[in-house]
Amino acid sequence: MWKVGRRLPTLYGHPANPDHRLSRRRDAGKKKPGRPLIRGVPGRVTGSMNALEPSAVSVKPVAPRPPRRVVRMSTAPPDEMTLSPEAQVRLVAAIAASADRQAYAILFRHFAPRVKTFLMRSGLPALTAEELAQETLLSVWRKASYFDPGRAGVATWIFTIARNLRIDHLRQQRRRDVQEEDPSEEADAPPTGEAVLITAEREAIVRRALTQLSDEQATVVKLSYFGEKPHSEIASELGIPIGTVKSRIRLAMLRLRALVDDLR
Amino acid sequence: MTINHHPSEESIARYAAGRLEAGPALVLSVHLAGCPHCRGLLRTFEAVGGALIEDMPPAEMAEDALEVALARLDADAQRPARRVSAPQQLAPRLGDVELPAALAGCEIGPWRWMGPGFRLSRVRLPGEPDANILLMRISAGRKMPEHGHTGREFTQILSGSFSDSNGRYRAGDLAEEDSETEHQPIVDRESECICLAAVEGRMKLQGFVARMVQPLLGF
Repeated sequence: MWKVGRRLPTLYGHPANPDHRLSRRRDAGKKKPGRPLIRGVPGRVTGSMNALEPSAVSVKPVAPRPPRRVVRMSTAPPDEMTLSPEAQVRLVAAIAASADRQAYAILFRHFAPRVKTFLMRSGLPALTAEELAQETLLSVWRKASYFDPGRAGVATWIFTIARNLRIDHLRQQRRRDVQEEDPSEEADAPPTGEAVLITAEREAIVRRALTQLSDEQATVVKLSYFGEKPHSEIASELGIPIGTVKSRIRLAMLRLRALVDDLR
Repeated sequence: MTINHHPSEESIARYAAGRLEAGPALVLSVHLAGCPHCRGLLRTFEAVGGALIEDMPPAEMAEDALEVALARLDADAQRPARRVSAPQQLAPRLGDVELPAALAGCEIGPWRWMGPGFRLSRVRLPGEPDANILLMRISAGRKMPEHGHTGREFTQILSGSFSDSNGRYRAGDLAEEDSETEHQPIVDRESECICLAAVEGRMKLQGFVARMVQPLLGF
């Protein structure tokens, strides 16, 4: 069953080791692969924050900790910690199963600041971006039981929530009414193990494909996800014709797709 | 149902990124509901979004952001926990025509006679006054109005079929035409054809009748 999972890069943790919770990105290459940093009940992330106290973490931080001003409840700076996709899935499951607030706090610290950056780069002012990041994570809490790991990873799920909230927000600026629930949030049949595995693999492949794009192509892909600007503005900013912008986006997307197919 | 015509990958990517205009996005969502192939592509492009989120440098949040978030959970906890299916919504209808579920939140105008064998209904998406979305109902064997467009045109076939220079389009197919195309689809003889169409930018109608109806449509 873990045959496929072993191909996941160490950066994203080791699905072969179900005990694995958290990995430190900078240490990814230094420690033994798959060595569990934190022990707990396999398959569940619940209970106390002790699991996150430094004493429970067996790897010393490489760099001095940056001054912490932002998040309080954390015992480690959030950007120093990388949550593996598998750990993320377990955190969402813990919220769904037992309204686990500690699990929520971990997810919040990891994702809220990233969602805020995403929304700011999408052209929203910082204050609105912060509100929508809060809103996104509140949706994670409310919709945790609807999360389907056979369909998307947690980061992808959160991306779609933030994306839809951004669209709704822009719409509500033109109209005050409340939006309908997204029908795609309806409960599905429980995911099969195979679907979960396929999803995890797809997401890992996409991540790898992104790292293999040239800088220019990566920029263009990012622009098409974040660029509030129409192609014409991008064109004048980069000093290239609009046709070139369009063909660059098309080429970058084609290359991304080809990479995804190759890696599959 | 075999689907032969799909939206471009670029359009699916823009949809995944939340960057497709509202009208085309609505038409695409109808296609996606019936097309496993395109749903697979959508998931890949959404995974790109997930990977980009994961790579974002964390922004500085308000100092009490987590406390605010946890306090909101308390307020939320008073609501009962729920995992209920969304209430079964009646499929939206227009006269005798059953419409895709994606149109449930839309205001759908009445069928308006636009010429022999050609009726139109304007679809309005709340909060998206600029979206140009149309339902078209064209009798068997009729020509659709010849037209080009300033932006892309997305046409999802709901029932019946039509043919143009690119081939034959059946129920479930999506015809995506760019602004360079000028085309004149002809509805096949077997039955009438009902389509949902949206354009980016403005539609340019070419024929005489078409120019007459353009002001009526408000394009």
